[in-house]
Amino acid sequence: MTTILTNPLRVGLRQERVISPQCIVIFGASGDLTHRKLIPALFELFRQRRLPSEFAVLGCARRPWSDEEFRQKMGDSLAEQVAEHPRAWDAFAQGLFYEPVDLQQPEHLVRLGTRLEAVDRLRATRGNRTFYLSVSPEFYGSGCRALAGAGLLADPERSRVVIEKPFGRDYASAQALNKVVQACAKESQVFRIDHYLGKETVQNILVLRFANTIFEPIWNRNYIANVQITAAETVGVEERAGYYESSGALRDMVQNHLTQILALTAMEPPGRFDPEAIRNEKAKVLQSAHLAREDEPWKCCVRGQYAAGGSRAQPLSGYRQEPGVNPNSTTETYVAMKVFIDNWRWQGVPFYLRTGKRLPKRLSEVVLTFREAPVHLFDAAGGAPTPNQLILRIQPDEGADIKFEVKAPGSGMRSRPVDMAFSYDESFGEPSDEGYVRLLADAMLGDPTLFTRSDEVEAAWRLYTPLLELIEEAPWQLPVHPYEARTWGPAASDNLLAEDGLIWRRP
Amino acid sequence: MRPQALRLTRSAPPAPHPPRAMSTQLTLQAPLEVPPAEVTPYLERLWHDGLEGSTGAATFTLLVWDPAWLEQQLVRIGRVDGPITGLDRADVLDAAREIVTLVGLPPSTAPMDPRLAWAVGQQPGSHAATDLRGRTVESAISSLTPRRLITLAPTLDDGHPLETLVAAYCPLPEDGGTGGAACGDVVVLRGGMGAMKQGLGLLQSLVGNDLPCWVWWNSSLDEPPEMLEALAPPPRRLVIDTSLGDPRRCLEVLVDRIDRGQALNDLNWLRLRSWRESLAMVFDPPSRRDALGRVVQLDIDVEGEHPVKGLLLAAWIADRLGWHLVASESVAADVGHGIAAEFQRTDGATVRFRLMPVPVGVPKAHPGAIVGLRLICEPAGRPPLCVILCSESGGCMRLESGGMASMELAEEVVPLPEESEERELARLLGGGHDTTNPLLAAAAPLAAELLPSAAP
Repeated sequence: MTTILTNPLRVGLRQERVISPQCIVIFGASGDLTHRKLIPALFELFRQRRLPSEFAVLGCARRPWSDEEFRQKMGDSLAEQVAEHPRAWDAFAQGLFYEPVDLQQPEHLVRLGTRLEAVDRLRATRGNRTFYLSVSPEFYGSGCRALAGAGLLADPERSRVVIEKPFGRDYASAQALNKVVQACAKESQVFRIDHYLGKETVQNILVLRFANTIFEPIWNRNYIANVQITAAETVGVEERAGYYESSGALRDMVQNHLTQILALTAMEPPGRFDPEAIRNEKAKVLQSAHLAREDEPWKCCVRGQYAAGGSRAQPLSGYRQEPGVNPNSTTETYVAMKVFIDNWRWQGVPFYLRTGKRLPKRLSEVVLTFREAPVHLFDAAGGAPTPNQLILRIQPDEGADIKFEVKAPGSGMRSRPVDMAFSYDESFGEPSDEGYVRLLADAMLGDPTLFTRSDEVEAAWRLYTPLLELIEEAPWQLPVHPYEARTWGPAASDNLLAEDGLIWRRP
Repeated sequence: MRPQALRLTRSAPPAPHPPRAMSTQLTLQAPLEVPPAEVTPYLERLWHDGLEGSTGAATFTLLVWDPAWLEQQLVRIGRVDGPITGLDRADVLDAAREIVTLVGLPPSTAPMDPRLAWAVGQQPGSHAATDLRGRTVESAISSLTPRRLITLAPTLDDGHPLETLVAAYCPLPEDGGTGGAACGDVVVLRGGMGAMKQGLGLLQSLVGNDLPCWVWWNSSLDEPPEMLEALAPPPRRLVIDTSLGDPRRCLEVLVDRIDRGQALNDLNWLRLRSWRESLAMVFDPPSRRDALGRVVQLDIDVEGEHPVKGLLLAAWIADRLGWHLVASESVAADVGHGIAAEFQRTDGATVRFRLMPVPVGVPKAHPGAIVGLRLICEPAGRPPLCVILCSESGGCMRLESGGMASMELAEEVVPLPEESEERELARLLGGGHDTTNPLLAAAAPLAAELLPSAAP
């Protein structure tokens, strides 16, 4: 991408919504997510003056750090930004505090309550508190119980809790966790985070569909032949082997990120732009979705696992050779599947979902392929006319393309496909906020639009239950096909589409 | 005297005409009148004994200077019905627009122009009305549960003795209240100007130092400066409106307070948001960015003869683009006087600036609203680019005329802000800062420099 001068007139104009005085309490403050994502996101909000002066961060973890040590460690991890904006960091760091807390120890919660009152007085944060559970998933339920037990979630207007993914391991565990969480707090206080929804381009699916009249009339089974949703990564498992071995691509990517994109792509228009109206529609469409062959799920799903590959100059290990991975692992690093949505809009339209690690490109996109013209009047340069496609590029090179046929120059009447492209870079030229910046701001604003509601989470898990059960009970029916690293997945995945006379789009 | 805790209850708007913003109003039950000397002890007893177990919301104190001169005068001459609320009211604005020419002011005079209140004050009339200032609260503000809401409500009658009214309150739960314990208290100080000065003595103990304090100067900046000084010493956070009062005085207050390090918010600056957003939007595509470095001319048209808003807009553009002010002078215009200035760009080239007053049939509520903006750029190797922004309520034919046939034209309509003063204020209170917005802090001194020292 070419270097683009920032728009000097744009500075300071992203302050439309104002966050109330606030104390954000981060459990797991000594963990990776805090210094890699959360504190940088909060510092970015601070620099953009989107945080009020009455703001505090209270880091909580088991380590016996002091306020000063916490500030120092956070500053060290943001060394580059701190060096660039030293005065802003000094001001921001004054609002950083630390309290050693073990959520399993009731007396620690009592002490936390006292400390929060002190922070409230010191920083005038008015009792508005956002509790961020950046802890191991097995502590989500007990963490909520501990907070509720200490009375810290008692005021539904002024306290809320943010829960990281994964929310459960399957439908049953998600249901059980929802029960625990809902016993501790009202649904309006619970913010289940999926950082994919923080991406500008994911949100743009809503705007593209519902702020324009040209798309919605053709956004249905009458005009759309199939939909492909892809999230491809070039990286391998990296340092996450411990987590990934027990989750795999289905739990790590499909159940949350891809399913959220599916919901936004397929949902009905909400009556108004209101968090509950939007989440109602997302939940409804997920409740209508099902695997193409629920009775024989192995026929509509393919699992894969990357094997060694790369080039001679840059050889890449296979998944089973990665550090921390079981040499006989059957965890999938690639999954592709076919889903149907049983409603008036989408009946009979296949949705193909795929995600994988060590694929040739890093990209996420939604491709809507339209039905062919009923009669071919013209010769096509490629033999047959290429179906129209609308491609929503979620990352990188965010934007959208429309593919359509035009007359090829010359004396004949041959058609050929061309692209009409919209690019965020070319139109706006400003990098979008990182997903956590948007989502943390929304959580503190109490705006749940971009967070998943309990019924959405459960519907998403229920959609994949036949697959999860099959993997659990009869894994041989859904084998893990090896694929060479830096290729587009196993051949079986191509066959999944070939059965319908289709191919995956090669981006 | 036994303290009484009150609860905010929802009721119909107090005025026969709905307020401009059509928002829900929360009306207090009548606060209790206590002698001035009893206010502080009464409140202490109230929180200590009467509201045992409640410490109130740890939020902020809001201190409002709320003379509502125009509303009071219009009520007095019978042009609008009481009660007096101090809130944005559509019927007050309508009545003000109707009476402008009758009191000998130009039709372009904005209803909120302090000259109008003064002129109405010269009309005969002696209608009286209930005074509910400080008792009616915009729900956007009350939902933030201010810990203490102090309203200073000067009356037209200079000899009116000091009355002090006190109550504890909490909004209804659906409006952000706790549904149980009291959230805060309301203090109203009412009387003539002499009584108001007498009431200043009470304020220090009422404001306290524990919580942030916001001072909303909901009036002209031409009013006695000693009152503003007394109400809003740093570090209290000050909210003013630089569209109200003599332009030089407005800019002096703005610059002086920023220089003193006070957190200052200007509602006139906030009302520029849609203009700034619309202009920034034109230059979002990177292909247009280089044109920003090649601006040769900037023209701004404003309603009537109050240039402050236009100057703040020009100063913001100049500051963001790194222009240096070379000279500024007053020039004759069709109506009154305009301002002509010359800037130097970072590459040494000259930018010509004109701010012109234009007459309008139906002025907006505040003096000096922007009518239109024209920015002409001459990027290298491309046709000139002419950006025209027009207010959605009127045309900007003057800016659209002449010599642009060969230019690339980017024309946008700027939406009018729909929020009432109270809602703008609530946005500030809801997420306030203890420093001035750096963009305003940079633009204000430049705007003051742009204002010529004398008319030609």
